[in-house]
Amino acid sequence: MCIARQSGLAIALVALGAGSAAAAGPDPSAFFETRVRPLLVAKCQGCHGAKIAEAGLRLDSRPALLAGGQTGPVAIAGDVAHSRMIAAVRRTGEIDMPPDEPLAPDEVVVLEQWVAAGLPWTGPGSGTGDDPQPAAGPPDMQARLRQAMASHWSLQAPGRPAPPPVPEAFLPELQADWSRSATDRFLAREIAAAGLVPSPEAAPRELVRRLYFDLTGLPPPAAEADAFCRDPSDETYAALVETLLASREHAEHWARKWLDLARYADTMGYAFDGQASGYPFAWTYRDWVVRALYEDLPYDRFVTLQLAADLVEPPVPPADLAALGFLTVGRTFLGNPHDIIDDRIDLVTRGLLGLTAACARCHDHKYEPVTMADYYALHGIFASCSIPEELPVIGDPPAGPEAEAFAHKMQSLEERLQAHERAVHQRATREAIAHAADYLMETARPLPRPDGRPPRLADGYEIEQLLVDRLVRTVDGAKADHPILGPWAAVRRLPDGEFALVVAQLLAGWEAAGAPGVSGAVRDALLSARPTNPRELADAYARVIQRSHAAEGKPEDTAELLEIRAAFTTPGAPLVVEPHEAMRVARREEQTEHRKRRRDITAHQATAPGGPPRAMVLHDQGPRDSRIFLRGSPDRPGDVVRRRLPELLGGAEVDRQASGRLELAQAIVAPANPLAARVLVDWVWRHHFGSGLIATPGDLGLRGEPPSHPELLDDLARRLVEEGAWSLRWLHREIVTSRAWRQSAAIRPELAAADPDNRLLARANRRRLDWEAWRDSLCAAAGALDLAAGGGPGIDPLAAERMHVRSLYARLDRQDVPGLLRTFDIANPDTAVHVRTRTTVPQQGLAALNAPLVVEAARRLAARATTEAGGGGDAAFVERLWRAALSRPPTTEEQELALTWLAAEAARTPAASPAPGQASDSSPTDKPRQPTPAKEAFGLRERLTQAVLATAEFEFVD
Amino acid sequence: MAEHPPITSQPVTRREVLARSGLGLGWLGAASLLADEARATTEAGGGVPSTLAPRPPQFPARARAVIHIFANGGPSHLDTFDRKVALERYAGKEIPNSLKTERRTGAALPSPFAFQRYGESGLEVSELFPSVARHADRLCVVRSMHADVPNHEPSLMLMNCGDARLVRPAAGAWVTYGLGTENQNLPGFVAMCPGGYPIKGTENWRSAFLPGAFQGTYVDTKKRRVDELVQYVSHPVLDRDTQRRQFELTTSLDRRHLAARARDPGLEARLSSMELAWRMQAEAGEAVDVSRESKHVRERYGDDIQGRQMLIARRLVERGVRYVQVWHGEGQPWDSHDHIEKNHRRLAKESDRAIGALLDDLVGLGLLESTLVLWGGEFGRTPTVELPNDAGVKVASGRDHNHHGFTVWLAGGGVKGGTVHGATDEFGFKAVENRMHVHDLQATMLHLLGLDHERLTYRHSGRDFRLTDVHGHVVSDLIA
Repeated sequence: MCIARQSGLAIALVALGAGSAAAAGPDPSAFFETRVRPLLVAKCQGCHGAKIAEAGLRLDSRPALLAGGQTGPVAIAGDVAHSRMIAAVRRTGEIDMPPDEPLAPDEVVVLEQWVAAGLPWTGPGSGTGDDPQPAAGPPDMQARLRQAMASHWSLQAPGRPAPPPVPEAFLPELQADWSRSATDRFLAREIAAAGLVPSPEAAPRELVRRLYFDLTGLPPPAAEADAFCRDPSDETYAALVETLLASREHAEHWARKWLDLARYADTMGYAFDGQASGYPFAWTYRDWVVRALYEDLPYDRFVTLQLAADLVEPPVPPADLAALGFLTVGRTFLGNPHDIIDDRIDLVTRGLLGLTAACARCHDHKYEPVTMADYYALHGIFASCSIPEELPVIGDPPAGPEAEAFAHKMQSLEERLQAHERAVHQRATREAIAHAADYLMETARPLPRPDGRPPRLADGYEIEQLLVDRLVRTVDGAKADHPILGPWAAVRRLPDGEFALVVAQLLAGWEAAGAPGVSGAVRDALLSARPTNPRELADAYARVIQRSHAAEGKPEDTAELLEIRAAFTTPGAPLVVEPHEAMRVARREEQTEHRKRRRDITAHQATAPGGPPRAMVLHDQGPRDSRIFLRGSPDRPGDVVRRRLPELLGGAEVDRQASGRLELAQAIVAPANPLAARVLVDWVWRHHFGSGLIATPGDLGLRGEPPSHPELLDDLARRLVEEGAWSLRWLHREIVTSRAWRQSAAIRPELAAADPDNRLLARANRRRLDWEAWRDSLCAAAGALDLAAGGGPGIDPLAAERMHVRSLYARLDRQDVPGLLRTFDIANPDTAVHVRTRTTVPQQGLAALNAPLVVEAARRLAARATTEAGGGGDAAFVERLWRAALSRPPTTEEQELALTWLAAEAARTPAASPAPGQASDSSPTDKPRQPTPAKEAFGLRERLTQAVLATAEFEFVD
Repeated sequence: MAEHPPITSQPVTRREVLARSGLGLGWLGAASLLADEARATTEAGGGVPSTLAPRPPQFPARARAVIHIFANGGPSHLDTFDRKVALERYAGKEIPNSLKTERRTGAALPSPFAFQRYGESGLEVSELFPSVARHADRLCVVRSMHADVPNHEPSLMLMNCGDARLVRPAAGAWVTYGLGTENQNLPGFVAMCPGGYPIKGTENWRSAFLPGAFQGTYVDTKKRRVDELVQYVSHPVLDRDTQRRQFELTTSLDRRHLAARARDPGLEARLSSMELAWRMQAEAGEAVDVSRESKHVRERYGDDIQGRQMLIARRLVERGVRYVQVWHGEGQPWDSHDHIEKNHRRLAKESDRAIGALLDDLVGLGLLESTLVLWGGEFGRTPTVELPNDAGVKVASGRDHNHHGFTVWLAGGGVKGGTVHGATDEFGFKAVENRMHVHDLQATMLHLLGLDHERLTYRHSGRDFRLTDVHGHVVSDLIA
């Protein structure tokens, strides 16, 4: 670097004399100061300066300019043609600069002249030593980091602000109410500071409905609402809060919010034709989240298991491995590993920490203290993990026909695999017997083959070392008097001349005295072959071996041949490949087929219903560090970055032997990290109040907005850990028992004027139900909902026969989210969503008017209310309908309106009128049994019912 | 914003009217909607002020509606509207200025399609678009478009929402926010895409932080039946008259509910959207029902998916819909990484006739003057051939994405017909002359609609947002 600088300077000095006269005039300093520096400042240094150095390039000093950026030098003094800076501003090179607005032609000329003149630079930035700051080198991210760590609000440990006294401007009763919780006192101060007072508590009926929806996503049963309204004391309220917080419905409701953050879906997204895109076991993660919330798993543990359940000590029960679905249920981007990793990095950083780190995939973050090195250190952590081919079983298979079908298919697939293995080992054995002489010859070698590799024979057959080894052991172990192998063992290694002599003597002896103790078959074969060298002897043996093998089970079989078989070719003998050895001797195509059949099994386990549930785990595999990808492109690898935590979390390196997920998880929920608790508090607060304490959820960085109530956020974040021990239930309780949360949602004129967005929370926010709560309310009102149902593989939420299952348990194909769900603003399953957008569009109205789901709910609710009303007639029906749909009795006015409407409609359609004595058409309960025209199947009561289900009240919570 | 008071974040106009009328919310249901439903549903506007009420432009407009024909996937400019003879000379050879795109490409790939000059302007158009070419003298072909990156997702977001990455409203949402829409019984912004969603799905027509009313309404034009085209457009059991009385009851109940909860914009928006839903039932069904057109007309468009959806586009614009997007199809159909000759030929054959017929009709009905038609993709394609790769390209026979230079054309709505703006380099890799960024295109389109892209703003999260963010220049060369 030093040499380059000096030579560059030298060139510049030389060039100054020549080029400046033509281009820059006699005074290079004036040219630089009047023409070049203003241009650099105005057009370049915004992105290539001390604060931000895009692509590692700074253009605020001559040495930095000459040093260039991540992609090398950008300007060569005196060489206009090869200075990439010039190509960039001419917009003829690979990149165009400035990116948005091109330089004017005369500005380009100025830079050309400047380069031609040798880049004369005077004054600050000239690199001559009088600069106030180091001029060259990488961007000073360290300074940005230090500054952020020292002063940015979200990175400071939560303070211990004392809750302020309740404003004196409040009436005494209000003072008493608002003095009890720190949360209320922090809010009260700001409300009073704006010259406002809080709203009164919501009416009991409103409050109990809000509490139910908020904590469980379901409307209160009318009887429960009645009970609360009879005694709406603080004690009753507190008891109800506890009951609801401990319910499974509460865990389900908040699980869905967490699944938004976890970008949960049951498919991997777009897949090429013919490929399965389903995640058959994503639901095990969903069910795990429900269970974790139901058990109020502390948040630090909750997060740790989701990032590293496979790594924690002591090991968790298998069921908890499902937590890892947090990382694995995302989109797979057609298998692009870097996009998958990017998705996981964004999930963890933005989702859990409120940091927008994903920008650093391509360049150091423009605004945040997050470098590319931070990003690729995390990249390495996730690149060191993979999803195993076979996911671990975490439970018993379900009972029933599906399980039987599953087991049946499983059995046949396993048999197919075994059949293949059988075919392979039989083929290998057959060929080994056919090459018995060659195997015997391998045992005649005095030394192992120098390359250790079995030879390929002239006919293409490859000797199996496995069998050679076995045969060598057998032959070496055979003594000279072994009835079969004795002769071979004795003479196999003799040189040809000596061999002939010895064998001739042996055979002569046999002819003379018989061959006691020698197998008759061997004796006859040798006598007839009269071998003169080991090969001839081996061939003679081979013929016996093959004859004996062929004779099995045939009339020509003899005891002698049986003996030969036992020595060579029956299971356990040296020339037989055992079934379990099949894949050791399999040919390439046999191995391919074997893999395919194994994959069929894993695919069946993974995709067929009826199998045991499995956890969507990932595990550490070959820990490795990643290289920085310049501009995010894998084609342009840069330096290796060691796996470590982001600098904002301390930057510590992780265990070299593991991916580092565990350390990452621990750092996220460490007491020293103030981000996780703040993000969590804001997230929970936001879902309770309908607006957050931080206007930019998922961005607590330098560019994010500061919190509306910093002390309140700090207080809750600190106490959540210290008092609540990370219990989410503690946080819910803290919020819903506050006076602020219990305020009326009425918009008083002074609030509309002074605080239209309700940032001060001097009232509650009236909110539309989200998709899940709306559908669940329909199902609940219809009497269809079975609170014990749900769990396991997802259901079709639009199917009438699934109305007993809560919306949480829907199967979600991220590639094809039903239009109705989108219309009702469900979370985009492709990115961590802290808060859903909330739109009001006519398609929602169309759904309320016409969707089959609503029509079916109306049918069932009409039937239910009719049954419950008994013989009470229309008045009782209306009463029951209101209570089931809206958790309250109708007002007198509404009652009258409904009855008048029923009467008018009945009068209008006499043909549809019911039997005499009833005011409306007959009870729907007896209708489905007989085929009726469609119109009559949707009679007056059904129509009235749907009218109520379509009201704003049904869809909104005060 | 002083010149354009109606644009605010809250429906104050509505509230003000309600307050002034002295009738409260009851006025809505009883007076305008239920007592005389027939009038309310047929009269454009229906007399109900809402966030979608038509608003005057900031200055006199040249166009009042937009039809954006989105050839999603990235059509090749080199095989359609930007002929490059140099590619023939360099066939099979490396070209000197190969730039980085998404994947590796090799030698120059000459266009397999013949070009011909059309009209008085002598505009060169390939054999792929003979029907469009009949309108050569009405086209303003921009050959110097460029975007930021060679990937579908960010480029789609840039083309539609003005930002590649962040959650921003679509152009159609901005325009309906700025101008409202002329027919209150139809959505102001309609996005048609047959067979499913394009890449990025509904994000392409989202309203993001703008009020939900400005979000594009999706229509799956692969469907043929009216009740399938517009989801939930009719009650599965009840006839309209019966349902009307049911709806009246809901409205009466809502009226009582809202009376005690005045000033809540959320509830008010819900009420107006219910009214809109009710009217949409009738009019939306009629608008998308191409069977109401004569056989002759349907045949001119082609009785197929593209023909039907282009015809629907015309019917929507005729009825005062502000912004219509017509996507070629689900996914990214124009993404011809390989076999471009076969694939582009098929894609153009599917759409050319319908686009030609649409332009014919807009001319014939006198609508082209006030309707800005935009055709193009999210980027173009490379002059070099894409090499076989792991992503599915087996034979080098197509082109990779190219954001450095590509072509769109505009017609009607005040653009200069029979002109070519800008140029790519000798090989068509990069826009070099009169370069026009997507932001510039958006600024120019807003300008034609009478909206200043720097003044069409919306305050959100503490700052004023706009479609073009801090970018964009109106390119006056395009304007007649």
